[in-house]
Amino acid sequence: MSLTGYERGDGRWGFRNHVLILPLHQILSSSAREIELKSDGAVAVSHDWSQVIEKDHERIIHLLAGNATNPNLYATILLRLGTPIEDEVIARAKKYGKTKLIEVSLTEAKSIENLTQAGIERANELLKEAKAQQRVSAPLSAIVLGLECGGSDAYSGITANPALGVASDELVAQGATSILGETMEILGAEHLLARRAITKEVGQQIIDVVARYEASINYEGIDIRGAQPSRGNIEGGLSTLEEKSLGAAKKAGNAQFTGVLEYAIAPTKAGLYFMDTPGHDIEQLTGFGAAGVNITVFTTGRGTPTGSAVMPTIKVATNSEMATAIPDIIDLNSGTIADGTQSLEENGKLIYQLILDVANGQLTKAELGGHHEFNLSRLYGSSL
Amino acid sequence: MSITGFAHKGRGVGVRDHQLILPSVVCSTHVSRKIANEVGALTFAHQNGCGIIGIDVPGVDNFFIELANHPNVQSVLVISLGCETIQGPELLPKINRELSRLLVIQESGGASGTYEAGVIQAKQLRDNFKSAPAVIEKLVIGLDLSRNIENLAALKAALNDAGLEVVIQDQQGVSEHNLAKLMSKKVQIILSFADDNQPPSGFPLIPVINIASNSPLHLALAAEFDLPSTASVQEIIKLITAVGNGQKTKSEVSGIGEIVAPRSVRSV
Repeated sequence: MSLTGYERGDGRWGFRNHVLILPLHQILSSSAREIELKSDGAVAVSHDWSQVIEKDHERIIHLLAGNATNPNLYATILLRLGTPIEDEVIARAKKYGKTKLIEVSLTEAKSIENLTQAGIERANELLKEAKAQQRVSAPLSAIVLGLECGGSDAYSGITANPALGVASDELVAQGATSILGETMEILGAEHLLARRAITKEVGQQIIDVVARYEASINYEGIDIRGAQPSRGNIEGGLSTLEEKSLGAAKKAGNAQFTGVLEYAIAPTKAGLYFMDTPGHDIEQLTGFGAAGVNITVFTTGRGTPTGSAVMPTIKVATNSEMATAIPDIIDLNSGTIADGTQSLEENGKLIYQLILDVANGQLTKAELGGHHEFNLSRLYGSSL
Repeated sequence: MSITGFAHKGRGVGVRDHQLILPSVVCSTHVSRKIANEVGALTFAHQNGCGIIGIDVPGVDNFFIELANHPNVQSVLVISLGCETIQGPELLPKINRELSRLLVIQESGGASGTYEAGVIQAKQLRDNFKSAPAVIEKLVIGLDLSRNIENLAALKAALNDAGLEVVIQDQQGVSEHNLAKLMSKKVQIILSFADDNQPPSGFPLIPVINIASNSPLHLALAAEFDLPSTASVQEIIKLITAVGNGQKTKSEVSGIGEIVAPRSVRSV
């Protein structure tokens, strides 16, 4: 099976060649959406950041700059006001990658209408260039896979998650990178993951990151083991956080853990990683996007339509009932494992194949539906 | 001051006749936007509704309820995913029962089924229930004082003399937290005095009249402010009357301004 993509000149590969419209102040979000609607295929994101220096400043600058330079992007149009804080984001983005960065400024355009018009024109020029660029043969090590689950149910841990683990193991064995996130969703299973760490130190890091996470929730006076599993999970048949975690961790298969990553930080070499992320689906996707993940597989029991502007996001159903009821958001059904019509290995191979097909350009349901939510994850809330 | 608005049963009299497509969770914001774009309703992107804990759960819940019950709202269609923390079926009974409906993506044939059903329901809510015109006896004006202004006492007195009720939020810095608080106090129009280093603001449900300062940023963005720093109280009152009677503000025309829900705790 051959893999093709776009070589970015910095060791990273893209499987899409998007033009992203990124507003650098929340009041420019509506203009970004308008540019997406009226251009020939640009993708836009919205957010609520007003350029205020807050405790999460570094986290926000990094998320914006990291997503602006995700390897799936041909170019990013940065909508800006013309303030110094925006220069900080742009300088950082230049450090992170070789993505073409185009600035369109409201203070130069003078009006939102002109800004939007200028954005559409620049986007269409860039899209023409992007479409002219040819895919070239890529090694399997080009894949940086994000592993995610959302809306989990009692099937997650016995169908879609272990099947995704089969695919992840296969890719990692061939030199790709795979990243497991969602710290809360390995809580209770961290000791099992730590045993699979490449060194004792990495194993201890996994234990420490989970403890740090739980402490940050306890600090708020909340017992996370009481708040999880979520109500949707309980309705889906999950009994405890530990049961949810044991199932969620299956996404990472049986490979050794090469390292532990802080939220949204890119790995420096191939292998299987654990990243400290919130379980919030979109905060996790935005973190993966900033870390240079170029394809994501998202298993779901209840069914969720969300996706990313910068990464194709493959949805795998944990049960056949949901996969049949809402086919417009599901790319592949792992419910067949519970139905007894497919083995775990057979289904895992289908996921592996679909990852390659999507990397080669096949569109996901989330892409077809135009789903690309975005979210600036904060550790300290947003009320000032 | 004579202002004719819209009677919204259970919500009060508004100066706008907006339909709100309310996503109860980030996962339903895209479907909500598609429905809103198709039928000409308002919606907003947000990142809440799930993965929230502690006081943020009732906080975000209340925020959605206040948005749905605002007097400028004609009708509400809640779009829920189904497995989120803030459950649509529980949110619906807490908002005004008049002209409020709910669709759950996981029970409505997914994103495309919800979109199709949502367009039909939104059109029915709009077409079958026309709002009657109503004279507004006492217009409630919100003042967003994100920056200090010199003539506040005189401005407030003049607005009161013109028969307007005035509500003030004066947290300095960015405007959106003041705007959210003014929304919860059901103000019908907002006068926004943005910080010198912040652009003009907007709020999808409420007309925001932006009044510039003399800062370099505000001067550079003069075209997006409704009034310059030199505007007299009489000019402000004249514009309030026009906006109350339907004239669009600059931010209503451009569509700027995301709704920012208050959050105090990290996501999980």
